[in-house]
Amino acid sequence: MASKANRPKLIVDGKRLDGRAFDDLRPLKIIAGVLKNANGSAYLEQGNNKVLVGVYGPREVIPKRDSDPTKAVIRCRYQMAPFSSIEGHGRTGPNRRATEISKVIKEAFEGVVLLEEFPNNEIDVYIEILQSDGGTRAAGLTAASVALANAGIPMKDLVYAVSAGKVDDDVILDLNMIEDNYSDADMPTAMTHRNNDILLLQMDGEFTKEQFAKALGMITEAGKKISAVQRQALTDVYEREEKRTKTDEVTL
Amino acid sequence: MKSIVIPGDRINDGVSSNGAYVEDGKNYASVMGFYDEGGKRVVPLEGMWLPKIEDTVVGVVVNAGRNNSYTIDLNTFRTGVLLLGKYSRSTLKAGEMIEAIVDRINGKKEVILSRPRELRGGIAIKVKPTKIPRVLGKANTMANQIAELTKCDMVIGSNGIVWIRGGDTALAIEAIRRIEREAHLSGLTERIKEMLSVKGK
Repeated sequence: MASKANRPKLIVDGKRLDGRAFDDLRPLKIIAGVLKNANGSAYLEQGNNKVLVGVYGPREVIPKRDSDPTKAVIRCRYQMAPFSSIEGHGRTGPNRRATEISKVIKEAFEGVVLLEEFPNNEIDVYIEILQSDGGTRAAGLTAASVALANAGIPMKDLVYAVSAGKVDDDVILDLNMIEDNYSDADMPTAMTHRNNDILLLQMDGEFTKEQFAKALGMITEAGKKISAVQRQALTDVYEREEKRTKTDEVTL
Repeated sequence: MKSIVIPGDRINDGVSSNGAYVEDGKNYASVMGFYDEGGKRVVPLEGMWLPKIEDTVVGVVVNAGRNNSYTIDLNTFRTGVLLLGKYSRSTLKAGEMIEAIVDRINGKKEVILSRPRELRGGIAIKVKPTKIPRVLGKANTMANQIAELTKCDMVIGSNGIVWIRGGDTALAIEAIRRIEREAHLSGLTERIKEMLSVKGK
């Protein structure tokens, strides 16, 4: 078990184990529109995290008794692939942890998607974690937001998510698996990118008031970078076609 | 001037269309689309068909009810209903494909269709509904061009189903797929014309 007693040195000479500074994100890459059959999709890599998201809808709610005549229903399934992790995550299908994460992600999106436009319908968000290295709920949220926009589902804003944590007295951003396991605090947070409305905030461990403010500051700062990558991923879908058309013209 | 917008992007005020919303008196885009500054609207690049009255649609009969009433699958999140009335002579069977016009949308948000026409034979393909305006072209120029150069009968449903019969069907499909891919680029009619006249021979 991970505990303070057997904790490895997470910070060496002011740098973290993978050489990042305290407020550095892992390298982030997003591709939108990767699945043909889904209405919208996105693939995300954040360090060693690999996430695939497919979005369906709006479509008829099945079973019908779950439908809401005033607005659409969001259904979200977060799942880890059996091969995603060094631990047993995802090996035995849905579990307590996956159910909880599905619920909080669903609630985060209920805050931004314009549900009133599709009464009696549902929007399905399927998040598959292909490879996990800490902070997958945040990575899943970031990717799902791109997939929803790619599906043309009207929403107020894009959503980004990232976690902040604490090692001893140092606040660090975007924890990886080993930092996550041994840290003193971990706070995955999801926000809208225009006015930083908080849609999800969970916290394990303890922060002082000052550390919490610092963590939130780091997250909003990182949000600018994440939002830029998300925007690029969405517009890239169309620029890909543009490039292809130009090369077509050359061969003609 | 057209520019790509993503949800949450600030756009000029006075935009009244499906792709935008108002917050604190300011307009923001709600879908991924092109913002047309001249027309003051957001043209969605993705998403499903939103029924509009007088739209031509192509659908499949999924259920035949009593008194010549039919349920039509319209490839969208709303079901289509066709009421021929009990004195109508024509009948439809489940599985048949029809072309119809959107008459109205009722209180249960069902799409009521009118003026049906049966589509026999031929094949139907699904096209992204947001690309249909480009498949039609301005004043149907693109659709007429394809029909003329490939000698196909075509019915283009705003709901994203295109029905094609006769002529060089394969070429017509190829052209439509290309339009779908390149819908956001300019000079498309010329490129398609070139492609059709080169490959049509």
